[in-house]
Amino acid sequence: MDTYRTFLLGSMVFIAILIIIAVIRSAIGPTMTDRIICVNMIGTMTIVEIAMLSIYKDEDYLVDVCLIYAMISFLSVVILTKIYTGVYLEKKGIKSGPGAIRHNLRHQVSTDKPPVSHDEPRSADATPGEAKAAETGTKD
Amino acid sequence: MNLIKLIICIFLLLAGLFTYLSATLGVGRFNKAMSRIHASAMGDTLGLFCILLSLIIWKGPGLASLKMAVVLIFFWFASPVCSHIIAQTEASTNEDLGDLEVLGLDDETDSDGEFAPDDEKRYDS
Repeated sequence: MDTYRTFLLGSMVFIAILIIIAVIRSAIGPTMTDRIICVNMIGTMTIVEIAMLSIYKDEDYLVDVCLIYAMISFLSVVILTKIYTGVYLEKKGIKSGPGAIRHNLRHQVSTDKPPVSHDEPRSADATPGEAKAAETGTKD
Repeated sequence: MNLIKLIICIFLLLAGLFTYLSATLGVGRFNKAMSRIHASAMGDTLGLFCILLSLIIWKGPGLASLKMAVVLIFFWFASPVCSHIIAQTEASTNEDLGDLEVLGLDDETDSDGEFAPDDEKRYDS
């Protein structure tokens, strides 16, 4: 029916505009993580665009392109994050893994506000962490 | 019957477009990368589901619809993995995470059999 094809054409134009907005957002993203998020979203929108084009043109082989594109998009995000994390941690001399996250969380940039705690702090000698020590110091 | 199918397909298509619009707005307007991950993952799952379900209903049963369903199922597995990896990157490379409430950080630092003792010796300067 022609009504659905008209809606499909409008949707494809709309998704294309959103892709352009996401490209601009990835260009002005301050950190590398924002750019990777935008790349992930652009990949998803391209998959939708190819699927709608396949129905619009009534060509079934474009769905295969869509399937392959989904896998390549997933792979690109994985490789980008792994390479960026590896280079960053190699520069700082930290081994990759869960210890890197803990190291980063312990060396955060200190803000003016005191750390928010929802429960009472437990015994101070059980945890030699710096955040816990600072918190008990302010409470005393 | 044909009109009902058309109405359902167009409604699902517009719902998917609205989801993608809100995902793009969220990625553009939120101020932290963790919030942007949430907005992007919403478009990945719900937007793709709505639009591909609309296309599948319109196409009817067949090989193309099956492939679209395979794309949908694959992306529902891949998108949380993407979000998890991006959040790991953000947590291990951003030096100013802001006021994040980290659950279980203090509990695991002292005595946990998995990886805590080696990390304590290696990373505490």
